[in-house]
Amino acid sequence: MDLDLLLGVGRFLLATTLLLLLTVPTAFVVIQMELKVIAQMQLRYGPNRIGPWGMFQSTIHGFKFLAKEDHMPDQADRTTFTLAPWMVYMAAAMSMLVIPWAPGAIAADFNIGIVYFFAIIGLSVVGMLIAGWASYNKYSLLGGLRSAAQMVSYEIPLTLSVVGVVVLGGTLNFREVIEWQLDHGWMLLWQPVGWGIFYIASLAEINRTPFDMVEADSELVAGPFTEYSGMRFGFFFFAEYVALFIMSGIMVALFFGGWLAPWPFPAQLEGFGGTLYGIFWFFLKSYLFVFVAVWLRATLPRVRVDQLMGMAWKVLLPLAMLNLIVTAGVVVWLKL
Amino acid sequence: MTSEVRIPDPLHPERTEEARLRAAAGLAPAPSTGGEYAGFESVGLPDRPPQTEREREVYTLDEGEMLVNIGPQHPSTHGVMRLVAKVRGEVVVDIDPVLGYLHRGIEKLCENATYTTVMTYVDPMDYLSSMHNEHAPAIAFEKLYGVKAPRRAEYIRALVVELNRVFSHGLMMGFQALDMGGLTPILYAFINRDEVVDLLASISGQRMLFNFFRVGGVNFDANDEFFSRLGTWRAGVLKTIEMNERILTDNEIFRGRTIGMGVLSGSEAMALGVTGPSLRASGVPFDVRKAHPYSIYSELEFEVITHTGGDVYARYLQRVAEIKQSIHLIDQIVDKMPHGPVQAQVPGIIRPKPGRAYAAVESPRGLYSVYAISDGGPNPYRFRMRDPSFVSLQAMPKLMPGRLIADTMAVMASFDPVMGGVDK
Amino acid sequence: MADLRRPRPAAKQLGRRRDLSAPAGALVRLLLDRFADLAPTVWTDEDTVEVRIDGERNVEVLARLRDDPELNFFMLADAAAVDYGPTEHFEVVYHLYSDLHPAWLRVRARVDRADPHLPTITGLWEGASFHEREMYDMMGIVFDGSRDLRRIYMSPDYRSFPQRKDFLLPDDAADSPAAGVDPLERPETWDLSRFVEAATSSEAES
Repeated sequence: MDLDLLLGVGRFLLATTLLLLLTVPTAFVVIQMELKVIAQMQLRYGPNRIGPWGMFQSTIHGFKFLAKEDHMPDQADRTTFTLAPWMVYMAAAMSMLVIPWAPGAIAADFNIGIVYFFAIIGLSVVGMLIAGWASYNKYSLLGGLRSAAQMVSYEIPLTLSVVGVVVLGGTLNFREVIEWQLDHGWMLLWQPVGWGIFYIASLAEINRTPFDMVEADSELVAGPFTEYSGMRFGFFFFAEYVALFIMSGIMVALFFGGWLAPWPFPAQLEGFGGTLYGIFWFFLKSYLFVFVAVWLRATLPRVRVDQLMGMAWKVLLPLAMLNLIVTAGVVVWLKL
Repeated sequence: MTSEVRIPDPLHPERTEEARLRAAAGLAPAPSTGGEYAGFESVGLPDRPPQTEREREVYTLDEGEMLVNIGPQHPSTHGVMRLVAKVRGEVVVDIDPVLGYLHRGIEKLCENATYTTVMTYVDPMDYLSSMHNEHAPAIAFEKLYGVKAPRRAEYIRALVVELNRVFSHGLMMGFQALDMGGLTPILYAFINRDEVVDLLASISGQRMLFNFFRVGGVNFDANDEFFSRLGTWRAGVLKTIEMNERILTDNEIFRGRTIGMGVLSGSEAMALGVTGPSLRASGVPFDVRKAHPYSIYSELEFEVITHTGGDVYARYLQRVAEIKQSIHLIDQIVDKMPHGPVQAQVPGIIRPKPGRAYAAVESPRGLYSVYAISDGGPNPYRFRMRDPSFVSLQAMPKLMPGRLIADTMAVMASFDPVMGGVDK
Repeated sequence: MADLRRPRPAAKQLGRRRDLSAPAGALVRLLLDRFADLAPTVWTDEDTVEVRIDGERNVEVLARLRDDPELNFFMLADAAAVDYGPTEHFEVVYHLYSDLHPAWLRVRARVDRADPHLPTITGLWEGASFHEREMYDMMGIVFDGSRDLRRIYMSPDYRSFPQRKDFLLPDDAADSPAAGVDPLERPETWDLSRFVEAATSSEAES
């Protein structure tokens, strides 16, 4: 039993605890943004009663979820019905493990971080599928099947679009991708098509408008979450917004230089100050993309399920393939 | 431009095509070939034998099919109605509207009310076009009683019904977007509606159920303050409408979901009794304001607008064009507004001579008509209302087979049904 | 409230005129020409022309009105039923629209009240289906040949026909002389099988 192992375990426990705790304020901020930003866009006030500018509205929502009756349909499959919110939430929380917040502030600095991330974020589809199946509700079932079809389809272009980044950076480690961008400029400049595919596919992957087919409140009531109430629904709700933040963060890390300051372009400071500086820029950029997602939600109607699948297989996938081949060709040709 | 794309049925590709051809040839849908009668337990009702051939057809399930209740509590059924959808996966095989959740027996109530109090009962029928609901009975009762409303009253009537049409069509734009997942247009539409409703409240005294029309005139005169508010409103009315247009009309997602969706040809629409903007969007220039001009519409200059697509997008564009037409009409009405009284001398309880009268108006949803029979008593012997959205709903079983559940909402919203009117 | 069970005599003899100089005069002449047998029943007022027919003839007459190129009444504006009281008859009233004539055409089809049957017109206008379902639901008029004649507003287990004139509203029923008539729906009368069972068991005993 050596000290390194103990330290490692301790560090792991500390990191996971911090991350699990971090999901709550992250979700709260994103939800608050959604409420307030959409309200402004729709010429409404939005929440303005609880706290200054209604800041504690999401907190109150959280307490409301805790206080609500936990209802389960009679004929629901109890085990899977209970398990589903956990799976979705854990998928979101576990993928936070590899997010590069700032230099020296990564919970787990894997050398296969990118692979780990895409493996874990895809787990949420299992949760939604079993939620849809276990609820004993036709809308839930349709929603669950939609989520399976949609997420499995979009996972492919999503992952392929990142392979270009991996080929260019020559690494599967988020920290090294960001350090590569310190030398070469934002990955966006090298992989614009890859970014476009990644952005569209990531919106579909986390069920954001215009691809919110899974929840689709005007069609499927609430999709797989129809029969959920109380804190079980709260977990789905949290997971959804945490996933939105995570996807934005990962996109920032892969294409927008992560914690690197855009001015002077690209730069990072050393030491503890550098960590804080990096966190500042990382959050700023991430929330910018959260804002864009909220903006899209206020603007666009929903695409239809067959259009969604058609786009994944007929447009995004060939484009991602092409992008990958061209990138690989250029890398081999120029011996980058 | 509007090529019709139907999603092939995964298990029986021939079936939807056959259904389409049969519908085009005017034949009844093919009876279900296989399957078992599933009964009503599958939609959560006590079981009973089917009453009609059609009911047996709807509730007979082939392999891989299931029945989904869309409603009566569902986010996008425009009130309380139930669509029993037979689906195979997400593909709708058949659809059966079930009505009556909001039935209040307004016709019967009106037959037991005096002619003047009928106006209060018809208001909550089609609650987005209350002014039109009052217009038709007012005309019918005036015919029965043999009284004519003063010209200023007629102008004020035309003014308020056109104002009503502006917000009703504006809301349709919002609901169309809402049922397709767009959150914002409905809020802009409600801003527009609030402005109009405030305006109408300033003349009628009530915000939603105006109770403004009287036999032989209107309740209040339009004063200077009303006209000054009308001017302010007129200056900014297109703002929210244009905001919605910017969000929707050229939006690629919106166009992709609506063009070629729910195509209703002119002859089909007429056979089904679809009227109003939905019929004109199929290219039939039928507008009661032109076909049988009532009130002062023969004195106003306007053309019947039509679109040729016959799809959801054409029905949407038709509404947008009609909002602008209504604003144009409002301008003309205000220009020509004469002075004079707004109410003819009519007693509180009238006993018209025995007779029959039919009066039809163009409501935002189509031909709204009233057939009233007087037997000389103080209340109508028979009071019949034909509500356009009630009849338009019959298009749903025609249009939906072969489409997706998501399209059900888009197509239904394009007919703009209001359940208060459907269920009377 | 008035006694609604007694037919009001006035309802039958309604003041009408036949005015060939009215805007619809041309239509009246055309109708007299095409439907010579119906001539005595053609009447006009300022914007409506009226024809009365027997219930059984509705499909034939409406089809001719629709398909005749000079009449061209291609649109069914309304179809409604009227009850003229327990001792009288029903009427199914069709309102038609034509782009060639400046008047609505009203076709009143007389239906026997004791045996209210008439052919469906869904073969002519598919959209008449909901109207016919409503008439069936509210008045109890049966349209033969309809594929889908079931209640549309009331629940399927409802037994009464609420818009008939002998169906009284509660406040009318309280002080009406409708003694012996029980027009209001009572839940205990819904399930007739109870009575059938009682009848059969009593037979078995005897």
